[in-house]
Parts: sequence; C-alpha cells; structure tokens
Amino acid sequence: MKLKNIISILTLAAAIVACDHPTVPSDAQQESRLPHIYPDYTEVTIPFNICPLNFAVQEGADEVVAKFTYEGGEHTYGKKQKVMIDEKEWQDMLKAAKGKSIQVDVYAKVEGTWKAYKPFNIYVAEDSIDPYISYRVIQPSYVAYERLSINQRNLTNFEEREIYNNMSVSTESTGQCINCHSYKNYKTDNMLFHMRQGFGGTMIVADGKLNKVDLKTDQTISAGVYPAWHPTKQLIAFSTNKTGQSFHTKDLNKIEVQDTQSDLILYDVEKNEVSIISQMDNELEVFPTWSPDGKKLYFCSAHFEYQNDSIAKETEMIQRYTEVKYNLYSLDFDPETKKFSNLDTVYNAAAVDSIGKSVTLPRVSPDGRYILFAQAEFGCFHVWHADADIYMMDLKTKEVKPLDAINSPRSESYPSWSSNGRWIMVDTRRDDGNYTRPYIAYFDKKGKAHKAFIVPQEDPNFYTFFLRSFNRPEFMVEPVTIEAQEFARKAKEDPVKAKFAE
Amino acid sequence: MGKHLRYIYMLAFIVVAYILLPVMNADYLYTIQDNNVFISGHTFMMDTVQHGGGWGTWISCYLTQFFYYPWLGSTFLILLWVAIYWITIWMLGLSNKWSFLALIIPVLLLYHLLDFGYWIYYAKAPGFPFVPTIGVIFCLLFVWGGVSITRKWNVDFRLKGLFIIGVLAVIIVINDWLCPSTPWHFNYGPRGSIKTTLFDKNFRHELRMYRALEEFRFDDALKEMPKGDEGAPTNLMVLYKNIALMHTGQMDKMFETGNCGIKPDTGDSLKIRTSLLGGPLIYYMFGQMNYSYRWAMENAVQYGLSFRNLKMMTLTAIFNHEFEVAAKYIALLKSTTFYRDWAFEHEAWMMNSTRFIQSKDYQTLAPMLNDSKNTLDGDDGLCQQFLLEYYSDLDHATSPLVEDVMMCMSLWAKDYYAFCVHFYDYTNNHPNEAAPKLYQEGAILLGTTEESPITLEGYRFDDLVADKFNSFVSDYNQLQHQGVDEDEMGRRLRPRYGDTYWWYYYFYNDFNIY
Repeated sequence: MKLKNIISILTLAAAIVACDHPTVPSDAQQESRLPHIYPDYTEVTIPFNICPLNFAVQEGADEVVAKFTYEGGEHTYGKKQKVMIDEKEWQDMLKAAKGKSIQVDVYAKVEGTWKAYKPFNIYVAEDSIDPYISYRVIQPSYVAYERLSINQRNLTNFEEREIYNNMSVSTESTGQCINCHSYKNYKTDNMLFHMRQGFGGTMIVADGKLNKVDLKTDQTISAGVYPAWHPTKQLIAFSTNKTGQSFHTKDLNKIEVQDTQSDLILYDVEKNEVSIISQMDNELEVFPTWSPDGKKLYFCSAHFEYQNDSIAKETEMIQRYTEVKYNLYSLDFDPETKKFSNLDTVYNAAAVDSIGKSVTLPRVSPDGRYILFAQAEFGCFHVWHADADIYMMDLKTKEVKPLDAINSPRSESYPSWSSNGRWIMVDTRRDDGNYTRPYIAYFDKKGKAHKAFIVPQEDPNFYTFFLRSFNRPEFMVEPVTIEAQEFARKAKEDPVKAKFAE
Repeated sequence: MGKHLRYIYMLAFIVVAYILLPVMNADYLYTIQDNNVFISGHTFMMDTVQHGGGWGTWISCYLTQFFYYPWLGSTFLILLWVAIYWITIWMLGLSNKWSFLALIIPVLLLYHLLDFGYWIYYAKAPGFPFVPTIGVIFCLLFVWGGVSITRKWNVDFRLKGLFIIGVLAVIIVINDWLCPSTPWHFNYGPRGSIKTTLFDKNFRHELRMYRALEEFRFDDALKEMPKGDEGAPTNLMVLYKNIALMHTGQMDKMFETGNCGIKPDTGDSLKIRTSLLGGPLIYYMFGQMNYSYRWAMENAVQYGLSFRNLKMMTLTAIFNHEFEVAAKYIALLKSTTFYRDWAFEHEAWMMNSTRFIQSKDYQTLAPMLNDSKNTLDGDDGLCQQFLLEYYSDLDHATSPLVEDVMMCMSLWAKDYYAFCVHFYDYTNNHPNEAAPKLYQEGAILLGTTEESPITLEGYRFDDLVADKFNSFVSDYNQLQHQGVDEDEMGRRLRPRYGDTYWWYYYFYNDFNIY
C-alpha cells in the first residue's frame, strides 16, 4: 500500500472519529433531578471565548450522551462516562449562543436502562475573558518542596506550558522555591517572580528585559515578598516578611503560616532602589495592591503587640495565633513625587462581630469601584483556613458583603479580576479540602457574581488524579514569551543587589 | 560439557539471583515497591514521561510494582537480565568458553539493586530497580540494530561506530527536547550499602516490623526485637516495639523488653530520619492523624509519591472525616494492580460507618483519638522527640491507654517532673490498685528526689520493687565508692538491673534521636 493511501485512510478515520456523535436514546426514563457531573458546569455563566467544558457523568453509567442545544443547532457527545466536546463545534456553539444560553440534556445508561436527567443551561456571556492565566503548580505540602513550576494556560484551548521550572536550575541541597509571580497591567513585558534559597533572587522583566535582583537590604526585614506592580510606573510595592509555620495536631486547618514581622517597601525598577512605604511599630503590614489609577495603595495590616519578653516572638505568635486580625488600609500615592500620605482605614475587619475578622489579599476592580479580599476569623494565610471566603467592598458605598455565589464551605482565597472586570478568579479548596483549584465566576454589570466553575481541562478527571495545587492564579492578556530556558540561564547568575534609598 | 557452558553460567546466575533476591531479601523488595508507585491512566503517564528518559521510568515503575510479590518481580527482573546475557553473547559473538563475560552486566545490575540499604527510602528515581536494566537493554538493542544495519556498508568500522554513536546522541537530544523537564537527579553509582542490605539484621527487622505494624500484627512486631546478646536494636525498632506494646496493653513492659536504641551507622552521605522511614505510620499508631498525613505528604513531595504514602494519606483522611480527599487517593489506588482491593475495602469504610467502627484500625486506635486538645506546634522532623514531649506534657488523660502513654513517655523522656505529676494523677485515679511495676520503679526513683513536685509519703511500694531499689542504690554507691567509672558501672549492673527503669535512667545516655 502506498504512503498516500495510508494517509488518506488515516485522515478519513480521524474525520469519522471527530464527527462521532452518539444518538440520543429514545426510550429514556425521565429523572426529576440534575445529573451528577464533574466538573459542575450546571447553570454557570461562561465567556464566549473559553475552551470546551468537558465533563464526566458520575451516575455509575456504562454509557452517557449529552445533547447541547443552542439557537441554530444541536450536537451530541458521549464517550463511556465522559462528555468530550469537539473544539471546533464548541466554538461555533459559543458564537451562536453569545448573550444567550446552551441547554444541556444528559442521558445515562445505568444498569441497562437509559435515564434522562433534568436539563441544565450554560449561559454564554457577551464578555470575553483574558486568554491566559498563570499559576504556580505545587504540592499542598507543609515545609518540603521539590518540583515546582509557574505555568501559563491558554483559556481558549487546553494548551499549557511552563514559564519556569525550579528543577531546571537546581535540586537537593541547592534546590529553590519559586513564588509570587506578578504582572504589570495584565501584560507580560513587565513581570516578576521570586526564587528563594538556591540561586535566590527576584526575576524581574522590565520592558521585556530580564534581570535578577536581590531586594534584601540591611534596612529591610527580607527581600520582597508579596508584590504589586504600579499600573503606570516602573514601581513595585512589596511586603517584606519574617514568616514561620506551625502545625495543628487536631484542627483540620492543619497549618498556620504567620508573620512575626512585616513591612511594606517600594522598589524603583529603573533606579534599582528600595525605599520604605510603611514600617509602623506593632503593625504587620502585608499584601499591597494598587488602585487602577495608581494613586492609592491598599494593603492589610494587623495590630499586634508582643507582651512577653521572656519567650521568642515566634513562640508568642504561635500561642496567640487567633488574636492576629488584619484590617484593610490605604495610602494616597503621588506617582510623580513617589510620596505616600494619608493613611486611611478602609475596613476595620478586626471590629466585625464580637470576635473580629481578618482580611487578606485585596484586589481592586479595573474600574476602581470594588475591592475583593479573602476574609476569615484570623491570620494571614487563608488558603489553609476553611472558613475563608471571598468578600467584596463597594468603594462607593463602603458596603461589604460575601460573594455567596463564589464561596463554599471550604477555603476561598486569592481573588483576582480579569482585565475587563467581568470575571473573577479565586483559589479554592472546595473540591476536597486539600488541593487548591482555580475557579472562575462571571461578575455582571450590576455588580452581581455568578456561580463559579473550575478552569476546564481536556480530561474531565484531570483534577481527580492530579496531586498538585494551583497557587496564585493570575489573569494575563498575553502569554509570557520568554522561554523557560532563558529564565533558567538568568537564574544561575548572581543577582544585582538593590540599593536602599533613605 | 563445554558446549553447554553458557547454559550452566546462566542457570548459576539465575539461582544466585533468586537466592539473593526473593529468598534472602523479600522484605527489602516488598518495601521497595511499597515506596514506589504506578497508576494506570493518562495523568500518571504524562506526568512521568515528561522527564528525560521518562518512558523508561514509566515502564520501570510498572515492573517495580510486581515486587509486591517479591518472587514475581524478581522473576521479571531476572528474565530481563537473562535477555541481556544472551544479547551480549550474540552481539559480541562470545564463545561458550568466554560467555561468562556476558554476565558482567547482569551481575553489576544485581549488585546495584542490592546496594541500596537505607537508600530505598531516599531514592528519588521512580522505578529505580528496573531503570538501569531497561536502559541497558535499550542501548544493547540499539547498538545491535546499528551493527546489523551497517554490517553490509562498505566503510571503515570506525565510521560505522561513529554513525551509531551519532544516532544515539541525536535520540538523546530529541528526547531532551521532547521532555523539557529535567530528568530525575539520582546517582546510580555504588553507594556502599550492600552490606546493610545483606548483613544488617536491624535493617531487616525494621522492614518487617513496619509491615507487621501496618497490618496490626503486633505480636509479630515484638518477635523482631533482638534477644539476649543479639546486639542493640535501633531507635526506630524500639519505637516500633513500644507501639506494639502500647496496642497490646503492655506498655509498662517497655524497659523490660529493651529500650536502649542506637542510631544505625549509615555513613556520612545518608542522614536517616525516622520521619521518613516510618513517621506517618508511627503518628498514625498514636492517633496523631494530622501529623501522620503531614509526613506522608512531605515524604511524597520530597522522595516521590508511593503506595505507602497514598495508603497513609487515605487512612488519615478517613479518620479525619475528610472523605473527599480520601476518595481522591482511593481513586488513585483503585487504578493500581495490587492495591485495588485495599482501595475498595477502605472505600467501604466511608460508605458504611459501621464497617469503619468495626475495623481493626478504628478498634485499635480509638482510645488514642479521645485526646481532643488541639496544639499548634511542630516536630522539626523528629517524630520520636515530638511524641515524647507531647505525651509527657499532656495534662489530662482521656482514656486508660492515653494515661499509660503519658506515664511511659515521661519515663522514656526522663522527664521526672511530668512523670511525678502523672503518677500523682494515676494514684488518685486508681486509689485501690497497685501501680504497675514500671510506674513504681519510676516513682521510687523520681518521686523521692528533692526536685519532685509531689510527695510520695504514705505511698506503699511493692516489697519486691522497694527491696530491689534499695539493693540498686547500695550496689551503685558501692561501685561509685570504688571509683568505677559510669560506663563500667553500667556494664556491671546491667545483668541484674538491666530490665529496670533505674538502669535506663542512669546508664542509657546515648539518646540519639534521628
């Protein structure tokens, strides 16, 4: 057989497989409930440019069929227990259903009998989502780390690639931890991430040029930790932290991550200079974030006075860990003079209810109207606090409310806004309490959040079998184009030491 | 005879390999697979093959799981070694007389597998027992194929050699390009640990004790302790032994059954840690589910996911009622060859609480779970130290077993203050009962010291204990008066007092927790 013939046959076979649409069973028994599907995409609102929402039907069925009905057509899919949607057809569906909805009818053959479940809708918003997100892929470990990477994912399809992988540089005793990737205005020509321990330093891409700097100075507690790029200037606000971990013997939160000291610094990328933003006594300042116009810096801070000189600060912090409550503050900022002024208490979380609350990870919406944050009873590391939920403050009315459509009984943390302000992404442990997953929710023009859905994967069972967490999910309007190897090469160089500006 | 030499060599090798592997080292091989993992399906495969040499690793992980039955895994491995032997003979055209040379590689591979000792816990290369074998077979077949292809080429043999090496180099480069993640960093060179594998009895005792505890065969665990002059046990063995005593109601026998552990000599290159060798199981046995889960997770992160860690994470998640995450691990274990039944059995615990409550695990561990006090703390990787301090410092026993553990741990830790307080509570809780001999030994020694926070006036010690203690004090003072040094005193007093707490208290100072 000639090669040409073989190719023709393979192409035909591929075409047949691609167009393999099962038939909807005609004799199905009607069930009055929704089907159990994973991921749960029932009644969610999605952007019109997202990849297919493949799902698995968890009804113990031998076969399943899902019929997607939209204005102008319908498609059926089903492969054993999975519903795997053809990408091209999905894009056509989204195009046709933009601003409307797709109805999904699920049929499952359970013990020889076909059942038809109550149909559900997938609403297609008229708003697009940023095409890329990035996150750190890490085991939900406590102290140990080994293989870490910062990955970027194209939301319009299933492509994922590593931005940087710590093991490409060092392992074992010189191994490094990587964290806190951040972008200026959702773009990647100005971005950063940190490396700790082996080949430590902060990798900063400034106007496309890659640098490695050491932000630790004699006058500051540590190198930069939690970052926030100024939206217009080459300035980055960081917290500096002295952080420790301790472990619960019984409490299912399992870990407390605590700062015994923390301050805020400003890093001038062009001058390679660090200066102090806030270094108040008995205050633990952390989590800086800018307003979209760059004229306000929001941050969290806990008032904590050490009372016992006879024990180490770390020990006292462990003993009094439930007393640590972070409030939300702001400072005015003049981008021209680079001066901060007018400290203002935006939200006194410690005074909420009788026991007080603790606010972390604030993020201002691109229109400057709202501020999202994670709130729990105490502490600063809410990814390990099951009671942590996402709250939103309307900066116009100062009203604070939980985003019930997004929250779950388990931890929600690290909220972020898409660049058009119509999508909110959060990190949550709702699936199993231990592994953090990125969920996305629509935020409509009326200020209402809709049901959140997990970032889709090609294999619906991916999250079940994947034993790593997705940390710090961030939206990006474009991919990082610097190759992982280039980051690795630069990582092996000595960092440039930042200067301290008095 | 001469023409059968190659078969005789082969058979001799097979016999030796079987003796050294499943016959002599079944526990070693079982533990290797227990610290390995292979999960059917796309996610595990893709996660493995993205590393350089990933396909070889994936195949090796698949084969390593067969050491669940050590003879079965050994058979696969020996068959591959026999294949290497024959390929080498054919490739090099070795005559019968010289065919023994073809055994060099299989012998080195056998040596390599036995050369791990304690490194089996630290080896970060998944499927390491098979990886070099698979690699050698690939290279041999490649060279064999190359020689066959170039045989008819009318060029210098050096050019043919260069061509074969060049193609191999291109394959390696393409492989690296296709698999951007770094290969697992692991030194396949000699570690000098074959002595541990073949001759260190404590190493084998530890392997067997772990499995016995995991299967709740406490009497079998106790049988592994050395008798008489068989040498000192390791600290880990002592810990395992005391766990077995704890769950068979004999914890007060801990000093009679040998409580003076040593640290195994593993050379300078390997810093062994109890938290890795058995931390998750040890914490589990004490009902410390969070810490058990933590170390299973930490070990999985640093040294690779394993069946052992997955099982421990499942068990602790079930005990903590974290059913969704337990279901996740169970889903993974259901996709394995040999732990599938285990997964279904433990899934049933979640579906049916009665089955869980009736399980051996729950029945055994329930008395340790009553301690509901949450503590925010850390163990710095030293689980024995943590347990000693945790139970010594507990101020309230929530079950008779916890009460015993508090007493024994404070004695073990030589924390006289904690012991005295616990003993005081004990005598109040059991007003009309004679305390076990061990507690009396502790009390008569520690409760009578000036620093004791309690007074034992009026407490009536058993005559046997009191008489023996007086005798110990007399003998001790006599030797001290004679100017005998501490070590010698310990040696002389050990035959008579070696099973008492007093001997431990005064003469066991090598408290080398690791």
